[in-house]
This record gives sequence, structure tokens and C-alpha cells, in this order.
Amino acid sequence: MDLVLQLLFTGIGIGAVYALVALGFVLIFRATNVVNFAQGEFSMVAAYLMVVCVELGLPYWLSFVIALSGMALLGVIFNLGVYYPLRHRTYLPVIIATIGASILLSNSVLAIYGPQPQVLQGWFDTPGIQLGPVYLDSQYLLIIGVTILLVLFNFWFFEKTLLGKKLQATSQDKEMASLLGISVSTMIMITFIYSAVLGGLAGILVAPVLFVSIQMGSTIALKAFAATIIGGFGDVAGAIVGGLALGVIETFGAAYISVPYKDGFAFLVLIAFLVFRPQGIFGERVAEKA
Amino acid sequence: MPLLEIRNLAVRYGEIEALRGVTIAVEQGQVVTLLGANGAGKSTTLRAISGLAKPASGDILFDGHSIAGLGPEAIVRLGISHVPEGRRVFPGLTVKENIMLGASNRKVGAAQISREADAMFDLFPDIRAFSNALGWTLSGGQLQMVAVARGLMAKPRLLLLDEPSLGLAPVIVQAVFRIISQIRKDTTVLLVEQNARMGLSVADHGLVLETGRIVLGGKPDELWGNEAIAAAYLGGHAKTHA
Repeated sequence: MDLVLQLLFTGIGIGAVYALVALGFVLIFRATNVVNFAQGEFSMVAAYLMVVCVELGLPYWLSFVIALSGMALLGVIFNLGVYYPLRHRTYLPVIIATIGASILLSNSVLAIYGPQPQVLQGWFDTPGIQLGPVYLDSQYLLIIGVTILLVLFNFWFFEKTLLGKKLQATSQDKEMASLLGISVSTMIMITFIYSAVLGGLAGILVAPVLFVSIQMGSTIALKAFAATIIGGFGDVAGAIVGGLALGVIETFGAAYISVPYKDGFAFLVLIAFLVFRPQGIFGERVAEKA
Repeated sequence: MPLLEIRNLAVRYGEIEALRGVTIAVEQGQVVTLLGANGAGKSTTLRAISGLAKPASGDILFDGHSIAGLGPEAIVRLGISHVPEGRRVFPGLTVKENIMLGASNRKVGAAQISREADAMFDLFPDIRAFSNALGWTLSGGQLQMVAVARGLMAKPRLLLLDEPSLGLAPVIVQAVFRIISQIRKDTTVLLVEQNARMGLSVADHGLVLETGRIVLGGKPDELWGNEAIAAAYLGGHAKTHA
């Protein structure tokens, strides 16, 4: 039982990272009808920005602010360079452009930083606390705490603010939104900035747990993508639940079945969902337009 | 000077000429109804005015200034509100949220917009009870009410209404047209309709569009008076449904 609680804690911690990246996927998909294959690279770039700032001797909080501001800027550049020029085309050129951007980002970091994985220290000096039978790692606590705050923020932003409603309107019907005077290009810009920051935050939070490497983005993104499908593609709540579920499943799988096949469990679950419940846990509530 | 003046407007979709030389003038305070069969170019005319379709040639003047080539976001800020074909109510937002977003062309705070949206239910009492219902749960008539209410939230000087009667039961059509006859007290309206009888019943002026050209125009009585024309373009009395 103690082990179960311990694994549950770790699973939710890693699942929260998938959830944040998955949320980025979903928000961009809803705004642009395109899966952003560079979403994982947002996490990777942010982790490297963090490493650079910390190595320069900046305080941790300042590095954090700089890295996230950098991600916001990357969101702007990404929107203007990758999405905006292709916005009137079909989804295919845009998807290919995001794959191109993903390759560009990882190879740029490779060229600057080399292939050796970097280490980023955690936010806290204390490694963790013992709570009864469960050892709570401080970094996982931070990840879970930040994710809870972000999910609350996300709910408030999209459900309670007029700007959130305009973003939703844009994702549901761009032409109608423009007829009402909603600036569609601004709404999409905001979506890219927000998603880049979410992805970046996930990368910074998970970096002390994993190594900071060129590949970290694609690993996280693949799991997050699986999470969006498990949760129900395009669904915000689905992305979060799917991410958490995936984290828990792979942690339990690794503990009870096989550590080397840890990554495999995520994809087994994904395949099971694609076969038996392709619409995911939450399904598509709004029918696809013809 | 007319509030809206369309001069020799042509619009192409690829090879297809949707409009070829359309000229229309809408005076301030008028309701002008544009009639015509499917594919005659009625919706395209409205889409060109609101900036969704780019004119290939000709000009569109609003209040004396050319708006041809401007985008939809800029045009609605000038005071032209387009309630398009198919209602296009956001399915995942509530009725009230849909209506509130209609004010996106104006610089007003959320609290003020919320008050104005509440006041809008006085004009549309039938949808007041559905204020918190999501768009996709509504019936066709309710969607049309929401769409018109949302269009009015822009406080337009010119309201473009595309086929408000389409697919609605006769009693709902009458309710929608009662609202149009109330709107016309404050707002200039360019109405597109296939339902000629209803469309002309609220109009000061009627126009008939056929394969991208205006072929006929006049006061509603004159249009009805011309038997041959009424039969050919307006469906005739016998064939009029609704």
C-alpha cells in the first residue's frame, strides 16, 4: 500500500508535465486546426534557457522569469514565422512547417550546446519531505502545485474572461469571429504565446527530474500527444486527465511489470484507446464541421 | 448621399463570376430586400460588403468612403454588422456569451457589455430563458434570434441579414420578421431573402438578383404588381410558401 501511494505521487508528478504539454497541443489545435509538432521543443528550449541563465549565475527565480519570457517571445516568432504565412492554406503545409521548426529548434540547440545532457538543479534545496509512508520529492511537489494553479488559471481565463470567450469563439468559427470584430490573428498570436509558455513551464519543471537534453522535447511531446488522444482530442479537460492517467500508468507499469518497457506502456494504452475508444475519455462534444 | 452605395461590383470565386456589375443604393433608415433564387449571388453581395469576399472590380461606399478591400474586422468597426447565412452561433459558448461577443467591434468594458446583452433579451424574450444554454443545444429559430441579437450588439448603422427565415417553421418566421420590423426603427437594413412575401413585407425597396446581376428593382407594391415578374422571380402567389 505504501508503494502504491508512493507510485501514485510520482505518477501524478510526471503526468502533470504531460498534462501541461498536452494542454499546449490542444489549445493550438483548437485555434488553428493543426497539431504543433514543435510543442515538445518548446519544453526543451525552455530547459536550456534555464540552464544558460543558472550557469551565468543568475538567481533561480530570475532565470525562471527570463526563460519564460524567452518562451513568450518564441511563441511570437513561431506564430509569425511558421503559422501566419501559411494560415490560408490547408492544415498539411502548416503541420509540415511545425515539423520543420521542431528540427530547426533541436538542431540549433545542438549546434550551440553540443550533445552532452545538462543538469539543472531543482528549485528547492531540500530534496523532499517524508509524509507518513510516502516520500514527497520537492520537485514533484512543485510540478503538481504549479499544474493545479495553471489548470485553475486556465479555467478562469477561458470561462470567466471576455478575452477567453473571444479565444474560444475564434477556435470555433474564425470567419464569424472576424465578422464580429474579433481580431483573429491577435487571438491566434495569444494562443501561441500561451502554449509556448505552458510547454516551457513543463520543460523547466521536469528538467531537474530528467536530464536536459536535445531529445527531452520529443519524448515528452510523444507522451503528451498520446495523452491528448486518450483524453479526447481537442478537449482541455481530456488533455489534463489523459496526461495524469498516462503518468500514473507508466509509473505503475515500470514498478510492477518492467522498467525497460516503461515508455512502451504509454503507447500500449494509446493503441488500446485508438482501437476501443478512439474518441478518448471525454469524446468530441461538438460535432466536426463537414 | 446613400448610406451604402455599391457601384458595378464584380466578385469572382476562381473562374466563376458570382457577381457581375451589381449596383445598389441603400438610403439611411431604409429596409432594402434583395430577392433571388439560390446561387443568384445574394449571399455573395453581403459577403462583399462585410469584407468576407474581395471585389474583383467595382466599388463599395459606406457613408461616402470606399470600404472595398478592407477586412471584416475593420468593416464591422465602421458600423456594418453581418448576420450571415446559417446563423453561425458559436456552438460551445452560451447564448449570453454569443450575444456579448457581438460587441467586440466596440471599445466597451465587460460589465457594460453584459448589461447590454441582458437588455437585448427585452427585444428577444423567447431566448431569455436560454441565456446560459450552449449554442449547439438551440433550435433553428432560437439560433436565428441569437444571431440577430448578436448582430445588433455591434450597434450597427447598417445591418446585413442573410436569409433569416431559412429552415424555420412559418410561425417562427413571423416572429423573426416582427423583430426585423422593430429593428428598422433605429437601423438601416439590407435583407437577403428567398421568402419573397416575408422579405418584401418589411421592405421600403426590393431588388431582384439573377445570376449575378440586378434585373429588377422598385417598391414592394410595384414588384408584386408585375404579374409576369412576380411569377418568374418572386415565386408567384400560388407557389409562395410561408
